[in-house]
Amino acid sequence: MNPEERAALGDIGRKGLWENNTALVQLLGMCPLLAVSTSFVNAVSLSLATVLVMALSGGVVAALRTLIPHEIRIPVFILIIAALVTCLDLAFNAWLHELYLVLGIFIPLIVTNCIVLARVEAFAAKNSPLAATWDGAAMGLGLLWVLALLGSARELIGSGTLFSGIQMILPGAHPLQLLGEDYRGLLIAILPPGAFILLGLLIATRNAWMAHVAKVRAAAPHAPTDVASA
Amino acid sequence: MYNSPFLRQKASVRRVMVTVLVAMLPAIAVQVWLFGIGLLLQLAIASAVALACEAGMLALRRRPVARALGDGSALVTAWLIAVCLPPLLPWWMIVLGTAFAIVIGKHLYGGLGQNPFNPAMLAYCVLIVSFPALMSQWPGLHGGDAAAQLHWIAGGERTLDAMTGATPLDALRTGLHGGGEVASVMQSAAVGPAFGHVAGAGWEWVALAWAAGGLLLLAMRIITWHIPVAFLGTLAAIAGLASAIDGAHFAGPAFHLLAGGSMLGAFFIATDPVSGATTPRGKLIFAAGIALIAWLIRSFGAYPDGIAFAVLLMNICVPLIDQKTQPPVFGHKLGKPDGGAK
Amino acid sequence: MSDATPDTQPGDVPAQALPPAPGAAGTAMRSAVLLGLFTVAFTALMAVTYEAAREPIRLSVEARRLELIGQVLPPADYDNALLEDTVQLPALGALGIDGPVTLHRARRAGEPVALVFEAQAPDGYSGAIRLLIALRASGEVAGVRVIAHRETPGLGDYIDPAKDRANPPWITQFAGRDTSPATRWKVRKDGGDFAYMSGATISARAVVHAVGRAAAAIAPARDALFGLPAGAAADEAFKTSPAAPDAHGDASRSTPQ
Repeated sequence: MNPEERAALGDIGRKGLWENNTALVQLLGMCPLLAVSTSFVNAVSLSLATVLVMALSGGVVAALRTLIPHEIRIPVFILIIAALVTCLDLAFNAWLHELYLVLGIFIPLIVTNCIVLARVEAFAAKNSPLAATWDGAAMGLGLLWVLALLGSARELIGSGTLFSGIQMILPGAHPLQLLGEDYRGLLIAILPPGAFILLGLLIATRNAWMAHVAKVRAAAPHAPTDVASA
Repeated sequence: MYNSPFLRQKASVRRVMVTVLVAMLPAIAVQVWLFGIGLLLQLAIASAVALACEAGMLALRRRPVARALGDGSALVTAWLIAVCLPPLLPWWMIVLGTAFAIVIGKHLYGGLGQNPFNPAMLAYCVLIVSFPALMSQWPGLHGGDAAAQLHWIAGGERTLDAMTGATPLDALRTGLHGGGEVASVMQSAAVGPAFGHVAGAGWEWVALAWAAGGLLLLAMRIITWHIPVAFLGTLAAIAGLASAIDGAHFAGPAFHLLAGGSMLGAFFIATDPVSGATTPRGKLIFAAGIALIAWLIRSFGAYPDGIAFAVLLMNICVPLIDQKTQPPVFGHKLGKPDGGAK
Repeated sequence: MSDATPDTQPGDVPAQALPPAPGAAGTAMRSAVLLGLFTVAFTALMAVTYEAAREPIRLSVEARRLELIGQVLPPADYDNALLEDTVQLPALGALGIDGPVTLHRARRAGEPVALVFEAQAPDGYSGAIRLLIALRASGEVAGVRVIAHRETPGLGDYIDPAKDRANPPWITQFAGRDTSPATRWKVRKDGGDFAYMSGATISARAVVHAVGRAAAAIAPARDALFGLPAGAAADEAFKTSPAAPDAHGDASRSTPQ
């Protein structure tokens, strides 16, 4: 792989994980993810399923992009995404049954998650399978770390635990009781308003950080980046 | 909201807020008389937390702390939170509610004048959604001595049923759900003395004290008649209509007007000049909407009272209401917009 | 995306690699054929996955079912194939479920141990509460679990042990209750034997009444139910037994807590 390609892939990763983060910047496809981010395990599980769908659908669409007629591309994209999600749904049902019962309707709903179709249409349809797979995965992973943070915060504030339900994925593992047995739990964090309040605080934190970085750069034009590139 | 010259604005906010605090005193006195001195401690806690949070947020936002603290708006929020919560909540709940109201409900939206939601009602909703069981435990009338009340507020072990009684709204809803009818539930001995009178022995005195304070606000021209009249009128009309159609399952207007937070909401909460509608017609629509939603939540919902949720829901509609009810500019006739406007 | 003419491909495919540019009808036909091919290919993918997952799904569903039953009846108490040893109950008003109900029969060394079945409380605070009940051959309740409910979070949801902060959970007080008239199937507030949480009586009351009704209906027929061949319909067992006693009926004797 030549340096240019490597730089391009690095760029894709940086955009997915931070600059164009699905959850913090684009705010796309948040409905099912806010609904299941009541605990770390739920949030990460559904995010992982979304990462898988996004990477696979990106790769498949990119590989088939020369065969897909332009005017019927949307139905074909949906067909590909729906087929992949159905397979994933069946796999969850068969091998992660308890988690399947918890995530329920939200696995099939990945089909309607607009971020999946958005990346397929905007990126995979015009790029190589490798780049498209990585783009889907990076976008999904950007979603995953935010959702993991959100799920942890909601679970910790709402019930004082972390990793509850972990035994559904890793048999024998135990959740952590972090805030003591007596902690009553601030229920609103687990209910829908808590998702919006905490996501708002996360977005505000990111914006404050970006504003801070911009200010530092403006104040010090001879920043290390310039030195390095000089 | 405030007229020029702006030099008078701070003083005017302060005057308004102090008058509101004074107007709350009769109802606070009645609640202390009925439910014990716990409320006084809650008022003190809420005030201290509100002022500390206000000062902290102002400092963080690099605004002048002393002047804004002196306007009294944080105190009004704190007092409204304290009077609408059950007075025997453990201290950390009122700390949490007040801090949420000031930090998230008020300052994260830009401070006084910018908050789209009524901060006191935000605090109430956060607490009732998070701790519905504790939030429905009101002390029985003249129940419990002062020492026991302070012990509870300090977070001591709570002996259920020993000191708590259901509010009239709660008792009615539970009774109706159990298959009873309004008349029998209201007379049933099983729900205790809560239905001694129109809206529960004692509760009508609380309501009347709030109404008295509200009339003072009206007389001092702190609030206009639109919101209280539209709110109470709509509530009475809906309750009257429903109980006329199905008197066995819907309580009448007198009950709804005197129970729960109706009077407090009508005069002190819905009239918040920041988060409420500002045009005269808008105020009528805003208040009627609150009454309708509150009645629906009381009649069909799961929580003890619906006023807080109703206020927040109508707060969301305020920009639309204000935009659609802007009075025409002087010289233009209604219904004949000129030029390009369609 | 560029404003492509109907037969231009997105991406980097050279035009000469395509069939000769057809007319509008040809384009439509070509699209239809390709869409059909894609549909066949991805349906095949789904079919293959479905076949591969079918057996594991069946096993998972059964394991889940047994795990659920294990919460109301310890697995060590029986040794038969619980999921196969069933009878079909007719739609009984006392169970609160429309339509037939599958009843599992637990045995140990061939001897009757317990009956496991579902029931429903229609009068929860926000709709029906679905219950799984295990009734021992002796006539006492082995355990009850709430399978599905929509009670208010933090208020009525303590009927679900996963949400209950009490220790032991509220729902465990059903274990060991017998179905003789000695048990008063009411919450203490109504003069019964069952604890409840202040401020959320309705959920507890609904569950207590439903378990009482269901137990009272099934218990008198339990010998007949154990005697039926596996897979049989149990209509007869309920025609011969007398009408189910009223679960709300007052009992003169009180059971100490």
